Amino acid sequence: MSEQIREQVSAFLDGELPDSETELFLKRLTRDGELRESFGRYALIGEALRGASSDRVTKGFAAGVNLAIDGEPVQLVSHAKGGRATNWWRPLAGISVAAGVATVAIVALQQRAIISGVRSAAPATAQNVSAAQVAPVQNTPAAREALSYTVPASSPGTPAGIAHSRLVNYVFAHSQYSSGLGQRGVLADLLIEDEPAPAANERAAQPRNPEARVAP
Amino acid sequence: MSRPLPNRANWLIPCAMAGALLATLPQRSQGADDPRDWLEKMNQALATRNYDGTFFHLSEGRVETMRIVHRVRAGRVTERLQSLDGSGREFVRNNDELTCYLPDQHTVLVEPRQDRGPFLGSLPKFGASVTDFYRVESLPATRVLGRPVRAIAVNPKDQFRFGYRLWLDEKTAMPLKTQLCDSHGRVIEQIFFARLDMPENIPDSDLAPTVRTEGMRWVRHGARQDTASPALSAYRASELPPGFHLTVEGAQSLGEASAPASHLVYSDGLATVSVFVEAPREPEPASGAVASSPAAPAEPPMQGLTRVGSGYAFSTVVQGHQVIAVGEVPAETVEFIAHSVKTSGGELPRH
Repeated sequence: MSEQIREQVSAFLDGELPDSETELFLKRLTRDGELRESFGRYALIGEALRGASSDRVTKGFAAGVNLAIDGEPVQLVSHAKGGRATNWWRPLAGISVAAGVATVAIVALQQRAIISGVRSAAPATAQNVSAAQVAPVQNTPAAREALSYTVPASSPGTPAGIAHSRLVNYVFAHSQYSSGLGQRGVLADLLIEDEPAPAANERAAQPRNPEARVAP
Repeated sequence: MSRPLPNRANWLIPCAMAGALLATLPQRSQGADDPRDWLEKMNQALATRNYDGTFFHLSEGRVETMRIVHRVRAGRVTERLQSLDGSGREFVRNNDELTCYLPDQHTVLVEPRQDRGPFLGSLPKFGASVTDFYRVESLPATRVLGRPVRAIAVNPKDQFRFGYRLWLDEKTAMPLKTQLCDSHGRVIEQIFFARLDMPENIPDSDLAPTVRTEGMRWVRHGARQDTASPALSAYRASELPPGFHLTVEGAQSLGEASAPASHLVYSDGLATVSVFVEAPREPEPASGAVASSPAAPAEPPMQGLTRVGSGYAFSTVVQGHQVIAVGEVPAETVEFIAHSVKTSGGELPRH
């Protein structure tokens, strides 16, 4: 990537790219897969550099990007806390295909991370929660207040495999009730192109729904 | 380079999430610069506008380009979401069904949707209590895509929910850019538009898929009467993170499961978590099986944490039942809720 393009990326992410260049830049970003890839890396690095102070206006991003690109690798911020959820957000392979929207997810969704029976050594805690903040569950015996909560350790011998297709079913069912952003996020994730799946598992992507038909 | 035309501005509507934000805001009478007023303006625009835009979705260093066409006509919303990055997948949805075109899989899937009224209008409505769990505040004014914007942060007050940042166009209050952030302010996912048209009318042709469906397999999921068994319906979360409460309870048929799962939805007004409770799955005959064919092996129960999109799912087994909590929330939240699920009657349900 040329220095000029790098500067454009940095300026754009800083909100400092002139209007006259912004439209061209975005058009190129739409067409150029390599540029998008680089752009994604820059954006990720930028967020890592900003860290917890990212709510302020992002000035001087270009310098940070150049430092990250030209210098030592940057320790990127990970969405998963403490490595608890290993990201393997790749195509679903070795899965059976169910009917309806479930099938959509099965063939399309890139599932991101599953830990099966693996927990962090440091349990997640929810402390300092005010009792006044706890809302009761409607139509049910009262849900108790969460004054302090520790995620219990998993029992040993947890099955190693997770039925990916089933999980996707739940995600899709949930999306109907999630906020607009969450719903859009699910759909956007489904639209993302999968990486190549192992050939041995290709047979798994055949729907078994008896209502399936082939268009004339 | 000329500036975009007024109806082709470089700002956009990322999504109806804005509506959710607005819906959570309490009634008040404050100054015009109150960030909550800006969110209300944004919601108003979202509720009444048509739009057609191209946006970038950034997550984990990946950038995906997508096009969205969104039409509101006579209270009905029709929307088309299209990948422009190679897969060619498209989703078209209206009040009645969601159709998923998957050319890379040679498949079209049609899923009925329960009609919950206008899409934007179906967003949850909550009162002032949401501000107990989020801080809505202005950030320094800046520019995005060369346009002056209002920057607004909706910050979670604890670790049980994510926050948002929005950059709203000064002229239209429409968001040019949105970010989903964790409780430390770190960006998890962001969306920004590269192009946005807001025409008075959007023809049906713009909402029609571009995918050629000749020779593709069509899979249609028919409407089903979903009622969970009394045993499954007896399960509830016995403890909840602050601010979350039960908003929906019902049943959901999921894939090949022989019986509907109990489906509970908990929300704090912005964040939403679904809990599914299922009976153990029995082995099923293989497709096209004859009497002597071996049955497919039973699926083992799921246990553990999974990242899904911008959120998480946590699976566990409670009294022999599969429990899954999933939502656009931090891992702690789905774990918290899943581990608290119990039968409300205190007795083990019988199958």
